[in-house]
Amino acid sequence: MKKVILSIFTMSLFIVSCTDDDDTISPSEPLGAYEDGIIVSAEGGPSSISFISEDLTTSENQIFYNVNNETTGVYLQSLGFEDEKAYIVVQDGTITVVNRYTFEKLATISTGLTLPRYIAFEDDKAYVSDWGDPIDATDDYIAVIDLNSNTVVSTIAVAEGPEQILEESDKLYVSHSGGYSTNNIVSVINTVDNSVETITVKDVPDEMAINEDGDLVVLCQGGNSWNAIGETTAAIVKIDLSDNSVISTLEFPLGDHPGLMSYEDGVAYYILNNGVYGLTDNATSLPTTSLFDIDASYAYGLSVDDDQLFVTDASFTENSTLLIYDIATGTETNTFSVGVGASKIYFN
Amino acid sequence: MVRIILLFLLLCLAPMVRAQKPTDSIQRLDEVVLSDVKLKRYAHGFKVAVLNDSLLKQSTGSFTDVLRFNSTLYFKENGYGMVSSPSFRGTNASQTAVIWNGIAINSQLTGQTDFNTMNITNFKSVEIRSGGGSVQYGSGAIGGSIHLNNTLSFESHFDNTLSLSYGSYNTKNISYLSSYANDKLSFNIGVNYVDSDNDYKYLNTDQRNENGAFNNGSLNANIGYVLSPRNVLKIYHQSFIGEREFSGTISSTSLAKYDDKNFRTMLEWSHQGDKTFSKLKVAHLQEHFKYYGNKNTSNYSFGKVNTYLINYTSDIKLSEELNFKPILSYNYYEGQGSSFGNPNRKEFSTTALLQYQPTDQWEYGINLRQDFTSGFRSPLLFSFDVAYAVSEYYKLKLNGSKNYRVPTFNDLYWQPGGNLDLVPERSYQVDFGQEISYKSAKLSLNAYYIKTSDLIQWQPSASGFWSPENVAKTQNYGAELSLDYTHHVNAHQFSVHANYAYTISEDLETKSQLIYVPYHKANFNLAYNYQKLSAYFQQLYTGEVFTTTENLSGVFYSVEAYTLSNLGISYALFNKKSQQIDLSLKVNNLFNTAYENVAFRPMPDRNFNFQVQYKF
Repeated sequence: MKKVILSIFTMSLFIVSCTDDDDTISPSEPLGAYEDGIIVSAEGGPSSISFISEDLTTSENQIFYNVNNETTGVYLQSLGFEDEKAYIVVQDGTITVVNRYTFEKLATISTGLTLPRYIAFEDDKAYVSDWGDPIDATDDYIAVIDLNSNTVVSTIAVAEGPEQILEESDKLYVSHSGGYSTNNIVSVINTVDNSVETITVKDVPDEMAINEDGDLVVLCQGGNSWNAIGETTAAIVKIDLSDNSVISTLEFPLGDHPGLMSYEDGVAYYILNNGVYGLTDNATSLPTTSLFDIDASYAYGLSVDDDQLFVTDASFTENSTLLIYDIATGTETNTFSVGVGASKIYFN
Repeated sequence: MVRIILLFLLLCLAPMVRAQKPTDSIQRLDEVVLSDVKLKRYAHGFKVAVLNDSLLKQSTGSFTDVLRFNSTLYFKENGYGMVSSPSFRGTNASQTAVIWNGIAINSQLTGQTDFNTMNITNFKSVEIRSGGGSVQYGSGAIGGSIHLNNTLSFESHFDNTLSLSYGSYNTKNISYLSSYANDKLSFNIGVNYVDSDNDYKYLNTDQRNENGAFNNGSLNANIGYVLSPRNVLKIYHQSFIGEREFSGTISSTSLAKYDDKNFRTMLEWSHQGDKTFSKLKVAHLQEHFKYYGNKNTSNYSFGKVNTYLINYTSDIKLSEELNFKPILSYNYYEGQGSSFGNPNRKEFSTTALLQYQPTDQWEYGINLRQDFTSGFRSPLLFSFDVAYAVSEYYKLKLNGSKNYRVPTFNDLYWQPGGNLDLVPERSYQVDFGQEISYKSAKLSLNAYYIKTSDLIQWQPSASGFWSPENVAKTQNYGAELSLDYTHHVNAHQFSVHANYAYTISEDLETKSQLIYVPYHKANFNLAYNYQKLSAYFQQLYTGEVFTTTENLSGVFYSVEAYTLSNLGISYALFNKKSQQIDLSLKVNNLFNTAYENVAFRPMPDRNFNFQVQYKF
C-alpha cells in the first residue's frame, strides 16, 4: 500500500513538475518524459538512475523504479544508448533494455553475462566487457549480443580486466584496467572477424576518447601502492588508429592518479585532486596549472557537454550530488541531488 | 540438578533480590556451576535479562528469532539465515560483545558475532546485560553483552533430550542433548544439525529466495571433574561447521557461498581456598571463513584467526561486606587471510573489581581495567554501579562506565584500505534503572545515555578505495521497558513477557539518526499452560529504519516498519515420571506479512515447523 501511495505521490510530483513545460508549445510529439536531458546513473546500493531536464529546471530521482516499480540490481556499472534504447549494465550479470525516452523496461539479458562492465554498439550487435569471475585472471571476455533477440550469441576471449569499450570504424577499443588486479593494455577487436590485437600502454588504462585528429586518447591511472605492481606512474597515452602505434605518452609525476577524463572540442578534460585540467590535442606536455578547482568530497563521474562540466560528488551513505560548472569561468552553476554512489553522466 | 537450576534461576530472577541475602553456600555454588561469576556477582547495578533453558530448548527457530522476540536487542539480518548481527541501544554489532562461558568470542576480523553461526539449544542460559561492560569483558562491550552459558553441576542426574523437527522450505533439524553427573564427574553434550533449502517466497512478487540454502552442525561438550574437595577441573568445547549460500537482493540474485568453521575450547581449573576462590582458564578459539563469490567455481577468499588466552582470577572475601576480584589475562591473536596478510596482536589486561555491600539495601561496585595492546594505547577503563533496594518491591540501579573498542584486523590490515593510524573507539555512558516487583509481576524501566567518539567508519578515500577512519561522534539515549507477569487461574497459567525500547542514536555533527536503528522496537509474548497443553503467541514490532544518513523515507532510503506474529502450540503426548514426549507446532509469520529487515532483502512468508521432543 505504501508503495502505491509513494508511486502516486511520485507521479503527481511529476505531473506538477511537467506543468511548467506545457507552456512552451513543442513542435513535435514528445518521445517520452526523459527525452531531452541528463541521465545520471548511480551504483548504489540501491542503484538508481536520475534525470535532469536539459534546461536544468527539473529533476527526478529513481526514474527506472518510478516507471517500472522495480529496482536495478547491485551494482549499476554503466549505461549504453543505441537508437531508441538504453542498456543498463549491472555487475550482477544483467543488462536491462529500456526505451531511452520513457525508461519503460523492454527486456532483460542475463544468460551469458557474469560481471559486465561497459557496452558498445556496432550494427545490430552490442559488445560488453565482462570480467568473468574477478578472481580468475584468465576467463575475461567480450560478450557479443544480438540486439534483435537480446541474447548473448558469442564471446571473444580477452586479457584480464576489460573495462571501457569504444567503437570506431568496425573496430572495438577496450581498455584493460585489470579488474581486481592491474593490466596495461588496450585490446583492438576487429568486429568483422573478431580477431584481437593488443597495444601496450601504461598501467591501469581506463577512460578513452577519440580526438579530433582521429587518435585514441587513453587515460592510464598508474598502479597504486597496494597493487601487486606497486606505485607506478599514470599517463595519458595517444594512439594512432591507422597502425595502432603509440604516438605519445605524457606521464604524471609518481603518486598522481587521475581517474576521470572526458573529451570535447579538442580538449581532454581530467580531474586530479579536485583540479580540472584541459589537455589540448596538440599539446606535447601535460598542463601544469588547472583550469579551475571543483568542490567535491569524492569526484566519481565526469562528463563534458556544451562547455559545461558535470561531476558527480559521490556519497555511498546518502544521495550524491551532481555539480555543474561553466568551463569558461570555472564557476559552479547548478547542483542536483542524484542517487547513492552516482558514477556516470550521459546526455539523452 | 533441577533444584539447583531452580535455585540458580531464582537468584537471577528473584523479584526481591536483597530480601534474602545469598548464603555462602549458594555463592560457592555459583562459582562451581558457572564459569562467568562476574556477571552474577559484579553487576548488581546493571540490567541483566535471562533467557532460561526451557525457553531455549523449545525453540525451533533461529537464535536471532529467539532474541529479537524476547529482548530489546535489534538484529540486522541479511535475509533469513544469512549474516545476523545484534545491537544494543542504537550502537552497532561490533560494539556488542558476545561472551561464551565468560570469554569474549567476537570475530577479530569483523568485530561482530554472526548469530546464525550459533545454535541456541546447546546453551543452558542466555543472559543479556545492557550497558557498557568493557571493564569486565574488554574491547567491544560498549552497547552491552550477550552471555552464552553452559553449566556443570555435580548433583546426580542423567537426562536426555532428543528433538526432531521438520518445517517449511524443507527445513530439517535434529538435536540431542545429554547431561550426566555424579558427585565426582559431570558432563553434558549437545549435538545439533540443521539443513534448509530456505527458498521462501518473496511476498507480492513472483520471486523466491534463490541461493539461500544452508546447513550447519554444531557440537557442545562440557566436562567437569572434582579432583579434590577444593579443586575442580572443567573443559568446555564448542564446534560449529556451517555452509551457507548467500542470497542476493530482490533486484539481484547471487551465486555466493560462505563456509564457517568455529572452534572454541577452554580448560578451567578452580580452587577453593579459605577466603578465596580462584580460577585459571586456558582457551583456544579459532574462527575460519571461506567466501566463494561464485559457488560453482573453486575460487575463494578466506580469513582465519587463532586466539590463545590465559586468564587468572580470584574472588577474595575481604570482609562480610567487601568482595574483591582481580583478573589478569593475556591474549594472543594470530590472523591469516587473502586480504590482510598474517597480522597478530598481543593483549595483556589487568582488572580489579570491588563489590561492597554495607547493608541489605545497598550494593556498590567499583571496577577498573587497563589493557596493554600491541599497536595501541588503550585507555584506562572504569565502571561503577549502585543498587539500592528502596523497599521489598522497589529497587533502583545506577551504573556508569567508560568503554572502548579496538580496531579489528580488517580495519587495520585490509588490502587495500587498512589503516594503521586508527585509534580505539571510546565511549562513556550512564544508565539508570528501576525495578518494581510484586508477587509474580516485575516491571523494569531503564534510561541511558551513551556518548561515543572516534567511531570507526569505512569511507571512500580520494585514492579510489575504501578506508576506515576515526570520524564520527555519536550520542545515544533512550528508554527501555520490560514487563513480566504470571497469573494462575486454577490449573491455568498465563504469563506475559513484553519489552519496549525507544532509541535515539544520532551523529553529533549532523544530528541525524544512524542507519539501521529503529526509534521504536517492541515485543510481546503471551504463554498459556494447562496440564499437558501449552501454547504461546508472540509479536514483534520494529519501527522504520533509515538506510541512508539523510533520514529520508521511501524504498530507496528506509526499511518500512513491520509487525510480525508467531503462534506455537505444544502437547505432552506421553508424560511419565522418567519419560516425556512433546509434540509441538509452530506457525511463524502468522499473518503472512511481507517485510524486510535489511533493505531489498525480503524475509520469509508464513511458515510452519513441527517438532517431536523426547525426554528420557
